[in-house]
Amino acid sequence: MTPGELFLQQLLNGLTIGAVYALIALGYTMVYGIIQMINFAHGEVFMVGAYLGLTAVLSFGLATPATGGIARLIIVIGIAAIGCGFLGLLVERVAYRPLRKAPKLSVLITAIGVSFFLQNAVMLGFGAQDRYVPEMLPVRHWGGGTVSITPMQAVIFAVSFLLMLGLQGIVYGTQLGRNMRATAQDPLAAKLMGIPVDRVIAMTFAIGSALAGAGGVLFGVYYSTINFHDGYLTGLKAFTAAVLGGIGNLPGAMLGGLLLGLLEGMAAGYISAQWKNVVAFAVLILVLLLRPRGLLGERLAERA
Amino acid sequence: MPNPFRRVTAFFLLSLLAGCGKAEPVVKIGFVGPLSGDQAAQGTDMLRGSELAVEQAKTKEPVIPGYKLELVSLDDAHSPAQAVATAKRLAADGDVLAVVGHLNSSCTKPASAIYYEARLLHINPVSSNPEISRQKFDTFYRICATDDLQGPAGTRFAIERLGAKRIFVLDDMTTYGRGLANEFMGAAKKAGVEILGHEGITQGEKDFTPVLTKIKGLNPDLIYFAGMFPEAALLLKQRQKLNIPAKFLGGDGLFEPALIDLATPEAAEGMYLTTLGGDIHQLPTAQAFVQAFEAKYGHLGAYSSYAYEATNLALEAIRRAGRKDRAAVLASMKEMKRYDGILGAHTFDSKGDTSLRTIGIYTVHKGKFQFVEAANL
Repeated sequence: MTPGELFLQQLLNGLTIGAVYALIALGYTMVYGIIQMINFAHGEVFMVGAYLGLTAVLSFGLATPATGGIARLIIVIGIAAIGCGFLGLLVERVAYRPLRKAPKLSVLITAIGVSFFLQNAVMLGFGAQDRYVPEMLPVRHWGGGTVSITPMQAVIFAVSFLLMLGLQGIVYGTQLGRNMRATAQDPLAAKLMGIPVDRVIAMTFAIGSALAGAGGVLFGVYYSTINFHDGYLTGLKAFTAAVLGGIGNLPGAMLGGLLLGLLEGMAAGYISAQWKNVVAFAVLILVLLLRPRGLLGERLAERA
Repeated sequence: MPNPFRRVTAFFLLSLLAGCGKAEPVVKIGFVGPLSGDQAAQGTDMLRGSELAVEQAKTKEPVIPGYKLELVSLDDAHSPAQAVATAKRLAADGDVLAVVGHLNSSCTKPASAIYYEARLLHINPVSSNPEISRQKFDTFYRICATDDLQGPAGTRFAIERLGAKRIFVLDDMTTYGRGLANEFMGAAKKAGVEILGHEGITQGEKDFTPVLTKIKGLNPDLIYFAGMFPEAALLLKQRQKLNIPAKFLGGDGLFEPALIDLATPEAAEGMYLTTLGGDIHQLPTAQAFVQAFEAKYGHLGAYSSYAYEATNLALEAIRRAGRKDRAAVLASMKEMKRYDGILGAHTFDSKGDTSLRTIGIYTVHKGKFQFVEAANL
């Protein structure tokens, strides 16, 4: 491989995981934007999404790798996204809404509680071991020569791009989105204007969780193994991505996710695999020192 | 005002309860391994070996007359911190006379110090890092070969059988992985093989494509991985996706059938690994165990036989001691010149390491581990 091809391959590697980080980061940033809360259970919702996807694949016999892999994959993503959307609603209703007026720290603690609950529930339900996720798309190498992109990578790019586009559409083009933006700016004023603030917040959780669920399926199928621990590290990285981009800012979360994936990939590929996290997080610290609100954080008015 | 009569009654009832506990005195053997987390497959395989040994012992004469035998199994989740916590729990339980334990060297090493202080016999089934026995704890015994044998045996196989000349080494940055990688590289450098690079990956991560892409660019003819099976499965899978032609060799941490399920048989096809012993199916002494195990649990795990052997050895030491006393168990273990187990006849050196120094080589063919050869070192 020439250095150029090598670089291109590293770029593809980094963007693939970066796209998944971005999908999860959106959930963190939406919730923060609307109620200034870090939803530490969000990584677990992502993990539940991966398991919902696995369950759908196994119970509907969607794994047979004959034809129509992409259609089947999209059905699975849909099931997981809807399931996680409802999970998000439930978590918000049970663990966060009753504490809306409590100190911020209490909600943080219930979030950690929900996180442990979901981890252990999945461990009891699915076992503590790694689970194999069947490949839904054939392993092929596109790109002719030495640089390879697999069909699954292409699907990850396409699905995350479309979902992000859809989210932009919702936030900037629908009544719900307008309500979300209004609630983000001033919940009290929004309430006085007749906006059902509680329902808007619930919908924000649902949408963010659905995106995480979709991300979970993509992650599970791409890496082909999942474990009940997976939400922790990936969730932490997605949270980092959201902060890197400027928490509360939607394009920031996407940019942060892609950037973190790239940073990790380049650090591991050109410096050393064991320094991957060190380099990625050192860059995060540097960015925050120079721009405390993250890369795109100054656009506070648009947060939602 | 408290009623003195009530207090007397309470005392009486309490002593009755205490009496109930003493009606059937127990002796316990502790088992610790990763029973949750991504290495739970290996930990569970080991636990089953221990369970079978204890179950069989219960059908025979009691190890100490008048005492009921119990197995206490605890989970260290392959975390050194949790390993120390479980070790302390076992050390504090006076009924525990011996511990069979820990899969990972990074767990066994700190835990062995706790057992040493508690004067508790500690028999290790599979942690192969040589540093552990160099601590010279007289409570520590190990029934498997060590990485100063396994690493060089891997190097020899890589050079002589796989024709490797340019090797890239990966490890998982644990006590075991880093130690084994260094043993492998030391022998490789002595043999004049070119090491293109040596890097560590983080346990629990999923994306190893960046380092594999780098490896692809260097075009080695062999990738050596010193680590455990969950990461190996991901490496194999991603090596397939990136179309890397280099052969793949690993250590005994990969010897777990779940590896093939997680990586898929196609991606695992043709990989090699070294193990801490010969082929169990070729050992006449082990066949009764294999049959009993398969009848009870289905398929035989890679490390089940080691846990079974370690548990039987612990039981033998307790039986010879003949009384519920940790010091007596340690003394009887020390006096035991030779132990004939299912894996062979063990004698233990001053560090507690076994005389059985066989390293086996396996490959994966059509979704199954296949024995290739074994070397006595």
